[in-house]
Amino acid sequence: MSKSALLTIHQALRRSFHSLENNQKLWKSVLAECIPLMASLENLAEQSRALSNVQISNTPLKDFPEVEELLRFKLSQAMDTVLCKLHENMASLQSLRDSLTNQVSTVVQLYEQNTDTLDLVTVTERSATIPSVVDMLEWLQDAERHYRQQFVRRKTLLHALSSGNLNFLATATKKWKELDTPGAEDQITDTLCKVSFFVESS
Amino acid sequence: MEGKVNHTVSCDCSETSVVLILFCSLTAEFDLAGDVTNVNRKCSAVTGSGRKLKDNAADWHNLMLRWEKLNDEGFTIASNIVNARRSSASVSPLCSGEAEGSSGDLVLGNSALREECEKLEDVVNKMAAIVAKMERLMASQRGLVDLEEFQFGPQGRKVPLFHGWNAKDFVSSCGLLLRSFTSELRLKRVLLREVAHCADRDLSLVYLSCWLHQPLVPARARLALEAVLLETGQRHLPG
Amino acid sequence: MTSLKLLSVDSSDRGSQRCRLGPGLMTALGLSVGSPVLVSLPRGSCLCIAWPRPDLAEGFLQVDMKCCSPYFLRHPPSRLTLDPEQVTLVPCPKLKGMKISVVVQSVEFKRNNSPRFVHELVKDMLKASLREMLQLPLLYPGTLGSLGVSCPKGVLLVGPPGVGKTQLVRKVVGEVGASLVVVRGPEVNCFQTLSTVSPIYLWIWMFQVVRSRPGESEEMLRGVFTQACAVAEEGPCVLFLDELDSLFPRRSGSSAPENRLVAQLLTLMDGVDRSDRFLVIGATNRPDSLDPALRRPGRFDREQVIIGPPTLRQRAAILSVLCEKMPVCSSVDLTELAQRTTGYVGSDLSALCREAAMHAMRENGSGEQTVALKHFLVALKLVRPSCLRSSLGRTDLAPVAWEQIGGLDDIKLKLRQSIEWPLMYPEAFSRLGLCRPRGVLLYGPPGCAKTTLVRAAASASNCTFLSVSGADLYSPYVGDSEKALSQLFRQARACAPCVLFLDEIDSVIGSRCNGQAPSSVQTRLLSVLLNEMDGVGLKTLERRGTQKILQVEGAEENQTAEQMSSQEVCNKDVMVVAATNRPDCLDSALLRPGRLDHILYVPPPDQQARLAILKVCTKSMPVAPDVCLEELVAGTDLYSGADLENLCKEAALLALEENMEASSIKHVHFLQSLKKTKPSLTVQQIQ
Repeated sequence: MSKSALLTIHQALRRSFHSLENNQKLWKSVLAECIPLMASLENLAEQSRALSNVQISNTPLKDFPEVEELLRFKLSQAMDTVLCKLHENMASLQSLRDSLTNQVSTVVQLYEQNTDTLDLVTVTERSATIPSVVDMLEWLQDAERHYRQQFVRRKTLLHALSSGNLNFLATATKKWKELDTPGAEDQITDTLCKVSFFVESS
Repeated sequence: MEGKVNHTVSCDCSETSVVLILFCSLTAEFDLAGDVTNVNRKCSAVTGSGRKLKDNAADWHNLMLRWEKLNDEGFTIASNIVNARRSSASVSPLCSGEAEGSSGDLVLGNSALREECEKLEDVVNKMAAIVAKMERLMASQRGLVDLEEFQFGPQGRKVPLFHGWNAKDFVSSCGLLLRSFTSELRLKRVLLREVAHCADRDLSLVYLSCWLHQPLVPARARLALEAVLLETGQRHLPG
Repeated sequence: MTSLKLLSVDSSDRGSQRCRLGPGLMTALGLSVGSPVLVSLPRGSCLCIAWPRPDLAEGFLQVDMKCCSPYFLRHPPSRLTLDPEQVTLVPCPKLKGMKISVVVQSVEFKRNNSPRFVHELVKDMLKASLREMLQLPLLYPGTLGSLGVSCPKGVLLVGPPGVGKTQLVRKVVGEVGASLVVVRGPEVNCFQTLSTVSPIYLWIWMFQVVRSRPGESEEMLRGVFTQACAVAEEGPCVLFLDELDSLFPRRSGSSAPENRLVAQLLTLMDGVDRSDRFLVIGATNRPDSLDPALRRPGRFDREQVIIGPPTLRQRAAILSVLCEKMPVCSSVDLTELAQRTTGYVGSDLSALCREAAMHAMRENGSGEQTVALKHFLVALKLVRPSCLRSSLGRTDLAPVAWEQIGGLDDIKLKLRQSIEWPLMYPEAFSRLGLCRPRGVLLYGPPGCAKTTLVRAAASASNCTFLSVSGADLYSPYVGDSEKALSQLFRQARACAPCVLFLDEIDSVIGSRCNGQAPSSVQTRLLSVLLNEMDGVGLKTLERRGTQKILQVEGAEENQTAEQMSSQEVCNKDVMVVAATNRPDCLDSALLRPGRLDHILYVPPPDQQARLAILKVCTKSMPVAPDVCLEELVAGTDLYSGADLENLCKEAALLALEENMEASSIKHVHFLQSLKKTKPSLTVQQIQ
């Protein structure tokens, strides 16, 4: 009885780690897409700032009195395009996070349904190739928490950027990169290494 | 249609690529337009004023396409000039994003600077030629209006040329295009004159962003062209 | 048992709400991994989930302070020694409610972000945890199985279009947090995820299943099921097949592509493993046209979910929801509005409200914007119930007031007794033990206001009015007329209370005794009509919802609610009113009690009635003072009501003929007109 429950939960864990691996790859690629967008945003902010610093009527452009307003409009339009793209990326991050959350909660629920048959000794038993169920659950939860936090932080930053504060926009890339937590990402890579034997054995 | 999207200011890349895709799809449709087996036979079989207007619309489109290409070329040259001017100063803010493309050009000498300026002048001259062609197109379209009036009286023809517009509508739409590009050309001339002589960092940045974003060509212009293409049956509503 | 040493929490555990214990202690306390525990400390406590230490060592305790007494936020406990009894298992009561207050700590964040955004963020964060708390049969198919209840695999939603089948599924699935794969019939042709639109995390994919190339549709369908199964791996999944009848019609004899599609669906549904957390919901408004094999046990075996058009109280509830967000004038009585909207489904009602609001806007411009009853009344004319759409019968009736019909006072009273009263005061009828009449037959010579009388009765009682004359039902194809008649009854029942008026019934419904072949159309129509009137044709799926809705508190309100509910229960019937001028042609079975049992003779107008009719007719005419209506009455024996109206019109025309500037109609004109027109009734007809 406990044997079959253990097998079921192992299967579910394998599936979860598979999707965690996919998730990590996709997450990274989406974040990588965001970097050039952030740079453009910063660049556009720089252009807007320069435009504000220049008194057009004192320059050779004085023959074009409307140019300042028109250029500002074009710049903000371009910024909107970039922000739109970024928001789209956030949506894909959200769906990644949601799918992982779903996976993890499914596994945890599966475990909770089987607590009667799986005693503590069984779930804490580890071997050289197979980590214990408790460890694996822990790692999955940690990864899920990491992505949840990351998403909220990045979404908040993006929201702040959308307000159009030029000084804030000027450091967009820096702020975006500050949110990177290489430690936690490494932790996930580490986890995936640790379970690689387990995932491959079936 | 080689993708010329390597601007120093990388902000525009997404927008440009969208435009490029539109252009590609359009050229494909042009190939079809000459074909007798085109789905839209009603329009391809037009003669007289309709035929002329349709050709003009295609010309407008091609001219604007060439203008965009020239604008991209010119922007690359202009940013080289600005960077060369600033080579004495520290790394320019424009290059911080992608330094590898332009770092080689940073140490342009005086002769090289002159060369770049000549190249930019060349570009502006080509743009002027485009605007001149646009004017000729406009003149022929005005002529068409007169012809229509002569043929059908002040009320105009009973059956519309295409879907609903009359010749005057074409003139007013294309008039917007011509006005935009004429004033944009004036701006480009000023930029050509000033960009190499500007020492102020902010101002040169404004020059560059003016060149790139073409503030005097409103977004409406693009829409006007699309409307003309749609009316003449060279563009189809999606779906 | 040894005491526990409290160590500071590992950095990797921060924010995880874990409480690290030795496995031995966990067993001793009866904790399993993930059980909620309360750690009581001096000056406060901390709520955590139990988790074994990675090194499995005993005697140590590490607590993540994610959920703890406020004191510890500033003074994290350290270097304490605890007694094992300070760690206790927390029982899990059922979640009853939740209150969330958000504290934004960073001032900068507060400045840069609107409260709405914060709200959105919090909601988003809560969704994940909330979903875990919802205990659902969908989540625990195992539990259901152990109770001996088989998990339904397919559910079929049946109801007329627009009652909210799709809405219902969306809502339920949204609450459950299951994934949703939507397959819609005709219109959708793209594959899209709408997960951003959904209330709680759900996946929606739309496919177009029907393809032109042979075999492609089946492949699409298989693709949908594979997709849904893949989603089901991650979590519970509901596959919603909307407009099932358009995709899977009843299989016909030939090898039409639809047959293969039906067969494919059957195979796929049989292939779904019962243990999968996978539910297929189908929705249709024409259950009859579905292939019967789809409704066998194991496929769409649960089809109890029947959504009929909303009843009176349901309509009132829908309207109150719809009007909640509208600036509705306080004088608008939603109950009355609900009464007037028989046969309207949810989407009709929402269209009605929209139309009313639009009308109010057009009228008021940008000024004060309240929607008053008159706007609703205008909208009522524009928005017709979709139950009656594409109906055979005419529904657009100009309301006729009783006063517009001259004379016939005793007939009017009888009609009111048999049509208006049962519909308006059903509780009074049941109180006195009165059986409500099923049908009324009006007979009498032509042109004597039979049709107008019925119209007046229907408009006075505010019920749906379907009017059909013999010609409407007639069809040259065998069986078509019968089908049309029974469909008419179905529609009438859907919109009950309803008056179904069969004009010139003798022209379609024959009699079995006057020498007609038993197989003629008329005889078959007669048997259909008898069956429908006796309720034999009533289908189970036309049952209406009768579940109680929450009663509003307060005595006064209670009374109206009661009245409404009694009306609702009693008014399920359709009143059949038939009219003929040859009652002798009707089959006697039709006139038996329980069918057209109230037989009213509408006589040709007598002198008094003719006077009344003439008065009504000349009411809007400028009649010269010398006109003596009594004299006219005497000369118009055998004139029907229609003839009299015609007479007045003719007189007016004669006046105009004489002089275009004529301002009044003189007696001479009437006399001239009398000479010109002939009575349409004959003595034989009256006999």
